[in-house]
Amino acid sequence: MIKIEQEAWRLMVDHAQKTYPNECCGAMLGLIEGDVKTVRTALPLENAYPGAQRERYELRSEDLLVAEREARKNGMDLIGIFHSHPDCDAYFSKTDLENSCPWYSFVVLSIQKGQFHHANSWLPNMEQTEAAKEELEHPHA
Amino acid sequence: MPKIMIPTPLRQFADKKDAMEVRGTTVGEALAELTAAHPDMKKNLFTDEGKLRSFVNVYVNDEDIRFLEKDKTPVAAGDTISIVPSIAGGI
Repeated sequence: MIKIEQEAWRLMVDHAQKTYPNECCGAMLGLIEGDVKTVRTALPLENAYPGAQRERYELRSEDLLVAEREARKNGMDLIGIFHSHPDCDAYFSKTDLENSCPWYSFVVLSIQKGQFHHANSWLPNMEQTEAAKEELEHPHA
Repeated sequence: MPKIMIPTPLRQFADKKDAMEVRGTTVGEALAELTAAHPDMKKNLFTDEGKLRSFVNVYVNDEDIRFLEKDKTPVAAGDTISIVPSIAGGI
């Protein structure tokens, strides 16, 4: 399961609401102990998709390299990626799947009319053909 | 020797190490050394055809090897090789 701490969650929801009606994206840093991933902080990152960002997001690899270094520097790990679905449910879309990486948790935040609505976490497989729902625990928005 | 930084989720395939020093003089040789030492790492990084998976980018220090000499990019003592995911999506 993945648990998101208060401050990290605030950063994620703020980023998703501020970038509405576009999709936001970012990295989640924290610790993994056994089967539990704890997100201690989040790094809001820029959506680098060159087209319509209401429907797409793209993370720059350079930004993820920085996130990974930041995590190591602070004794944490890069454990997941978050992004938003403006006015859509928090499902893992075909586009999400085909551009995913099986090493990380993917938290999707549904933002409806500019406000946080609900969220889900997903674990894509190596072949990028399906994603399993991961138990997600987060503070109230 | 150059050093490969191992992302957290892959450390389970590398005896929990977060980095590995390698003797290779190119990125290709360095990654081959990594996967030879830790065979379970291979399927995470390469397809059955031996190509880097679509979600894997490799950096030498701050440079993406796709814009250098790809797997023939030279590496030397003091260089850091990073394995970085490639991620995008949409509704």
